[in-house]
Amino acid sequence: MMKGLFLKDYYMMIKYCKSFLIILIGFTFLSLLSKDNLFFLFYPCMISAMLPVTLLGYDEKSKWNEYVGTLPYKKTIIVNEKYLFGLCVQLGVFILIAIICAVRMNISSNFVWKDYMVLISMVFVLSFISSSISQPFIYKFGVEKGRIAYYILIGVVCAGSALASTIYGSISNVFVNFGLPVMCVGSVLLYVLSWYLSVRFYNKREYGF
Amino acid sequence: MNALEIKNLTKSFDDFKLDNLNLTLPGGCIMGLIGENGAGKSTVIKLILDIIHKDGGSITILGKNNEENINITKEDVGVVLDEVGIPECLNTEQVGKIMRYTFKNWNDKEYDKIIKKLSLPKNKPFGEFSRGMKMKLGIAIAMSHNSKLLLLDEATNGLDPVVRDEVIDMFIDYTRDENHSILISSHIVSDLEKICDYIAFLHKGKLLLCEEKDRLLSEYCMIHYSIDQADRPDDKYIKFKKISPYGIEAVIKRNMVPHGMSVSPVSIEELFVFMVKGDGE
Repeated sequence: MMKGLFLKDYYMMIKYCKSFLIILIGFTFLSLLSKDNLFFLFYPCMISAMLPVTLLGYDEKSKWNEYVGTLPYKKTIIVNEKYLFGLCVQLGVFILIAIICAVRMNISSNFVWKDYMVLISMVFVLSFISSSISQPFIYKFGVEKGRIAYYILIGVVCAGSALASTIYGSISNVFVNFGLPVMCVGSVLLYVLSWYLSVRFYNKREYGF
Repeated sequence: MNALEIKNLTKSFDDFKLDNLNLTLPGGCIMGLIGENGAGKSTVIKLILDIIHKDGGSITILGKNNEENINITKEDVGVVLDEVGIPECLNTEQVGKIMRYTFKNWNDKEYDKIIKKLSLPKNKPFGEFSRGMKMKLGIAIAMSHNSKLLLLDEATNGLDPVVRDEVIDMFIDYTRDENHSILISSHIVSDLEKICDYIAFLHKGKLLLCEEKDRLLSEYCMIHYSIDQADRPDDKYIKFKKISPYGIEAVIKRNMVPHGMSVSPVSIEELFVFMVKGDGE
């Protein structure tokens, strides 16, 4: 039922998000060269998590967000599609990064299974947290205000991470202390909560936020 | 069955109020919603589709309340909004594919036929379309999924006269099926005069009049007389009048015209302008 919406977002991603693909390839290559800098691994995750928000921005610009109200889609389906589309891209990027991490560790001949699991758990949690906090604000406040709220919350999350890494020595120690499964399941639950809230907010709003 | 029934519809904004609107569009008919910019035409269409929420009243589309499973009802409703909200990067072919997976009754052949008829390019992005081309694509989508009701908001605006004529013929063809109906809003009254069975005048959120077009045209006429003319009609029979230095122009019921006074037919456009600008009831 949401195939039409999926196809529309796919066309838009191919057209508008070419720069994202270039960044993804560029940063992937750089992460292979850079041994210690995790930024090159984390940044593509954060960008992929922002993809649904970028697409919602284009929807608003073209007035699709109003036009979709003339089509036979339930509001819940419209939100579900954005979450599923985002999830597909996000998981694709995550799998790619997981492979790169493995290659990267093998190249430097220090592949340790535990370190590898900590690293990809961090990538997994980061991408799920980023996408979880972006969309509900858009569906509640609209694209412009929602984006501002998102940036504020990202700042809070970064500050929290910095504080946690100060307390535990490093951010990877935070993951080890809390347990990797707890962190990963927690981020997935946050994503589910975000999805639920977005559906609720959008059902109350008029089309054309 | 009535295609559309609107009862006591109200919606308030900060600077505008749609006030207690009542409309009925019988099946197989075309109703023209006439009003100046900002009269509330687009608001009515968005309320019908529940794109914006009403404050009060009820709306029935094709026999179904618009608050219950409207997404199912929308399968049978073709819509052209005043701004066709197709993403700018998409071309007509991609739009066709998207709509194929959107409407259960989507008809690829019909879509291709209309695209060809309206001379729309297949691979040009929507963002590079002129306003007229955008409206044409909106019309093609609205008419390609076997809809029973078309809601057209300023759909003929921006089209050149030749295409406009062609599109109007398409609308007339569409309503040859007695199950098909159209609600079309516009401020280009001449278009509506050609095709509509019913005319509704909307002014500042209020419905001034809703009447069968032929009845309206046969019932009313225009008279001209000077201010000091002796055999002038009684003011109570005048529906609308406009006073100028050259005399008085007035719209009056034909059976109330004083004997011997010459009359001229009144057009829908004249009626509308009189209603809005004249000294109407």
